[in-house]
Amino acid sequence: MSHPPDHGVSRRSFLKGSAVAGIATTGITAATKAAAGPPVPESFGPGEHEITLSVNGAKKRVKVETRTTLLDALRDRMDMTGAKKICDRGACGGCTVLVDGMPTNSCLTLAMDAVGTELRTIEGLSNGDNAHPLVKNFVTCDALQCGFCTPGMVMSSLACLEKRGKPTPEQMRQDLSGNLCRCGTYGRVMEAIDKTANGGGK
Amino acid sequence: MKPFSYVVPKSLDEAKAAAAQPNTLIKGAGLDIVDRMKERLQTPATIVNLLPLKDELKGITVEADGGIRIGALTTLTEIENHEALQGAQFEGLVGAARTTGTPQVRNRGTIAGNILQFTRCWYVRSEAFHCLHGGRGPTCLAMTGQNRYHAVMGWSDCVRVHPSNLAPPLLTLDAEYTTVIGKETRRRKFAELFPEEPRAENPEHTLDDGEIVTAIHIPQQSKNARCTYAESREKQSFDWATTACAIRIVMAGGKITEASMVLGAVAPVPMPRPQAAAMLIGKEPSTKLFRRVAEKAFQGAAPLAHNAFKLPIGKAVVRDALEQATR
Ligand SMILES: Cc1cc2nc3c(=O)[nH]c(=O)nc-3n(C[C@H](O)[C@H](O)[C@H](O)COP(=O)(O)OP(=O)(O)OC[C@H]3O[C@@H](n4cnc5c(N)ncnc54)[C@H](O)[C@@H]3O)c2cc1C
Ligand code: FES
Ligand code: FES
Repeated sequence: MSHPPDHGVSRRSFLKGSAVAGIATTGITAATKAAAGPPVPESFGPGEHEITLSVNGAKKRVKVETRTTLLDALRDRMDMTGAKKICDRGACGGCTVLVDGMPTNSCLTLAMDAVGTELRTIEGLSNGDNAHPLVKNFVTCDALQCGFCTPGMVMSSLACLEKRGKPTPEQMRQDLSGNLCRCGTYGRVMEAIDKTANGGGK
Repeated sequence: MKPFSYVVPKSLDEAKAAAAQPNTLIKGAGLDIVDRMKERLQTPATIVNLLPLKDELKGITVEADGGIRIGALTTLTEIENHEALQGAQFEGLVGAARTTGTPQVRNRGTIAGNILQFTRCWYVRSEAFHCLHGGRGPTCLAMTGQNRYHAVMGWSDCVRVHPSNLAPPLLTLDAEYTTVIGKETRRRKFAELFPEEPRAENPEHTLDDGEIVTAIHIPQQSKNARCTYAESREKQSFDWATTACAIRIVMAGGKITEASMVLGAVAPVPMPRPQAAAMLIGKEPSTKLFRRVAEKAFQGAAPLAHNAFKLPIGKAVVRDALEQATR
């Protein structure tokens, strides 16, 4: 469908004029039990408590609030700053991590919801200088410019490779359609995926 | 986000009891409500997380009567890929799921959350504005404000549009939904999920507080039935539709014998267009017929100051869905 003429206002310019809410960081209170009659389900928060997350194969204890997103838990509480907070609203893909193998916006996922799942992040793809072939191919194919979208882009690329083996360009476009790149690296990213699928970078 | 308690039910009974408490929100994947909580437009004391109830609420099954049951927590990605939905009868439902948001959104977003999602109106979804539908102001700000993405029909005092991709095809398929609340289990026609004359004070849906959707049911479809979905949008990915149309037709001997049509993204609820659909009955498909049907589908539509583009594009989308259905 062709792009209709603009009537002088875009979503971006509209939203620029309006306030963007931040995230409250105060108000940590003691844990309470839900006041439901029987049966009484398990209840957490609203204060801080410890959960266990399985990240890149390792079990990690981390203190979160019920309102802490998975992205904030990773970045602010587990010192894993690979996943990026860009839009914080599911609208860019910069925060993409794999939850049970599926690309997921960690900015819209509560950390509590990730308990019991297998998480994989960009940090799991390198061990010192020894990087995953996909990561090496991102470098050799020059598939990043400013690099801000790259951690998310790599995770979506990895899921694409694992799901499809040798993805076609159309399948790559589909699987990358939840990751925005301001620098326009898409073509190079597809080259890096293709190279990895064909055994490059090992 | 304001702090809240997070309830992890072990059974549907526990979830029901917890959902019955005041100031409590039911959560699927949370894509819609986390967004609204970040904007502090929703500040529940408690959230009941349905995700642990996979066994009861997730998955697609073909039932004894040939109908298909889709559990409320089934993700859009699962709907896209499930073998029971691969036929032409369900093309529109699968297509609507496939064009929703991004892979990341579809991997987590649930069918219940999709059909129950809050409108995307940029006034009511912003902390900075106080409007009637949000219950924070005296009028609908979009009616006289920036209304490029708003309604062209079916509104009274608020011009929001219903954003769900999946609701129009489910309506054309004559789907039903089951809910639980207290000791009751209710099974109703999909049309009852949406307010008949939507006003600003109506929520997007007719569920009672604490009512939990457990499943969507699609009745068995005849072999020569076909459901299709078409939409217009400004971006190839990430974006909600600007107009959408789902169609279900049955053909026999080269003629259309059954037809239903529902428009999306043009009104505060998904809009059934029975008069336009009726024009198809007994006819052979043709471009000329489809033009007349598309005109009828938008008969009475009245654009706001900034969304007149929705009329010609919406009609093209109707024709597109019809062409797909009769190809
Ligand atoms: C970037 C982006 C693009 C998108 N594009 C589109 C698009 O093009 N088309 C489209 O249709 N959608 C689109 N969406 C919306 C998305 O499909 C929905 O947000 C998602 O499906 C909601 O599912 P959820 O499980 O996360 O719902 P939640 O956020 O958990 O819940 C949404 C609402 O439903 C209620 N609810 C959920 N489950 C139940 C239940 N079982 N019983 C009773 N109430 C329940 C909740 O209380 C809440 O009010 C997009 C979202 C994003 C972030
Ligand atoms: S930061 Fe999560 S999608 Fe943009
Ligand atoms: S490399 Fe700059 S945003 Fe993608």
